[in-house]
Amino acid sequence: MSTRPFTTVLLGNPNTGKSTLFSALVGMPTRVGNYPGVTVEEKIGRYTHREIPIDLIDLPGTYSLSPKSPDETVTVNVLFGRVPRIPSPDCVVIVADATNLERNLYLASYVLELGLPTVIALTLCDAAEKKWISIDADELSRRLGCAVVPVVATTRQGIATLREMITDAPHFPRRNKINIEQHLAAVDSIHEPAVREAIARYAWIENILDGVVSKHPSTTRSFDEQIDAALTHRLWGTLFFILTMLFVFTSIFWVATPLMELMAFGVDTIGVWLGSILPQGAVRSLVIDGMIAGVGGVVVFLPQIAMLFFFIAMLEGCGYLSRAAFLMDRLLVGVGLSGKSFIPLLSSFACAIPGIMAARTIENRRDRLLTILVAPLMSCSARLPVYLLLTGAFVPNVPVGVLWLRLPAIVLLSMYAVGVIVAATVAFVLSRTVFVGIPQPFVMELPRWRWPQAAVVLQRSYEASVSFLQNAGTLIVAVSIVVWALSNYPFDEQAIEAEISHHRIALKTQLESLRAAGQETSQTAMELTEILAAMETPEGIRAAQKGALQRQSFLGRTGRLIEPLVQPLGWDWRIGCAAIASFPAREVVLGTLGVIYNVGDVDLSKKPGENALVRRLRAATWDGTNRKVFTLPVALSIMVFFALCAQCASTLVIIGRETGSWIWPVITFTYMTTLAWLGAFATYQIGTWFMGA
Amino acid sequence: MHELSLLKKGSAGRVVRIHGTDSISMRLLEMGLTPGVSVKMIGAALLGDPLEIELRGYHLSVRKSEASRVEVAGS
Repeated sequence: MSTRPFTTVLLGNPNTGKSTLFSALVGMPTRVGNYPGVTVEEKIGRYTHREIPIDLIDLPGTYSLSPKSPDETVTVNVLFGRVPRIPSPDCVVIVADATNLERNLYLASYVLELGLPTVIALTLCDAAEKKWISIDADELSRRLGCAVVPVVATTRQGIATLREMITDAPHFPRRNKINIEQHLAAVDSIHEPAVREAIARYAWIENILDGVVSKHPSTTRSFDEQIDAALTHRLWGTLFFILTMLFVFTSIFWVATPLMELMAFGVDTIGVWLGSILPQGAVRSLVIDGMIAGVGGVVVFLPQIAMLFFFIAMLEGCGYLSRAAFLMDRLLVGVGLSGKSFIPLLSSFACAIPGIMAARTIENRRDRLLTILVAPLMSCSARLPVYLLLTGAFVPNVPVGVLWLRLPAIVLLSMYAVGVIVAATVAFVLSRTVFVGIPQPFVMELPRWRWPQAAVVLQRSYEASVSFLQNAGTLIVAVSIVVWALSNYPFDEQAIEAEISHHRIALKTQLESLRAAGQETSQTAMELTEILAAMETPEGIRAAQKGALQRQSFLGRTGRLIEPLVQPLGWDWRIGCAAIASFPAREVVLGTLGVIYNVGDVDLSKKPGENALVRRLRAATWDGTNRKVFTLPVALSIMVFFALCAQCASTLVIIGRETGSWIWPVITFTYMTTLAWLGAFATYQIGTWFMGA
Repeated sequence: MHELSLLKKGSAGRVVRIHGTDSISMRLLEMGLTPGVSVKMIGAALLGDPLEIELRGYHLSVRKSEASRVEVAGS
């Protein structure tokens, strides 16, 4: 007997329990990857039956074999053996939902025409039984000329038989030539040829199923039907939807946050331990600030990704994911997106990385790409500390005169609104320019309520995590190391010392001149005295060295170089520096500002008034003048910039991975940075004009 | 004869024609919305669009713009 692996493909409509069947046949997939060229996940799992290794390939769910989307093209190419890494299938398993056999056999009618060894797996037989649908599988098998196996994947009923049939399929007497022509002749010729073919295929199906499927309509409404009725109710259904979404996203927040903190703590502990055994110097800095920080930046996303995919799999398993898309479609279609963009975009408020990964649930490539492109504009949780610090420090806490609302709350809310409004505008413009094309159908099945399968839910969550670690993890670490190098080199001790002493002299001269003018009790003089005193302590010296290193590094020099570019935003070169150095992740900007302003590591847990960074920012002046850098318009301009910019290397990496092309992250970075600059420019200019008026 | 989108909630009709042969019309046909089949209007999402219809024993979502290609006759 040959031990050549036997290639079997699993093919079926979406929502037919294909993933459940895959798990029942092989358990965990041995390989999850992307098809070259298009980002469609391929799942391959191997099991052995009668000593023959069998490679089972899970294909994306599809309704027909006439390729209209990249997913369907992949399906067709695999069936015809046109995908280089995948051998021509030895057997095709059509997964057909027993509760909905009529529509499921439409795809089967195409597959049977190919003449490949085929087995039909009738899934959801338990659900069919509940609906009083009975199917004569033997008669169906006789009429179709291929094996038909009823299965209940959860109880493993029929799985053993299915495995036998898959192995036997190539030896099964084939009579796959199905007769569509006979039905085609009977169709009224007023219809277009394509319409006539569809009519003929359904006529063939009706003929095949006549006497095979019997339905006994029940007199009482089943429990499942009652759930259905409540979920589709206009008021209760909508209320339930809002509560579900609130529950899902608050639980992600409440459960993932402590887990993320735990992971960050673990990584920090390793860093501290390594710090204690490694000698001071470049290697230690590379390991701790480059590698460990990079790994920390990767694992910190894992709890969110695992949780989000857990909930997505739950919603999908219940049949509720399609319903969520259905309910939200009208809201999103106006800006060129579709209902399926809703969950990815909502997730992006927590973090764009799981949000962009969640866009995998959008089958349509155009909608998926558009969703991915605008997802980073949603204000993620990493922006919140930036908003909070700057709002707390520079926005006056005054009532606005409407209800009990105060100005900082309005500013905070506006930052979220800015992201949403810009995202809607970008999606609207792109969908009518670059992405203009054939309108995409929203014709999809709304599955009935059913219970999610624990195995599938856990597997989905596991697969998403593994896929993130494998595909993006290493790259994110690599990017972190590059950014570390750019912000730590060139390292010139003499130049650092020279800069510090130069800085000290400048401060002293400034203080002297204030004293000479009899202003030694002024606020500026007090601040100068405080900074000078801090520079004499050991921590102050270390902070000053770290600051000088950062300012002299490649990134710091770029910051100085781009000063003319950031001046219209009201920024000095230090803010420009911090903005550039925060490329690995937005939240880093506060730490970077701390380093650049010689505060060292910033403790953000303190209140704005007691926070060293806030005091230093408030004291900061333009080089060689007494003019304050941080005013209200400048703080707002920084916030708007960070609301719209793409300063998050991990997001860009994940966009590259999920779209299968490096063009999209480049486009995302370019358009977001441009918008961020324009937004910050407008904010500063209008703000200054208001303050002056 | 009238458009599918005009079907009242809870009422049924029979598909008479599908206009066009582009990808949307083809998808409608693939999903079993072929001339001759009977459809029932289940309802609409909160904002009145898309629509939920029942045919061939399952529920289908279609946008109003998509449903306008389908002509039904009351039954």
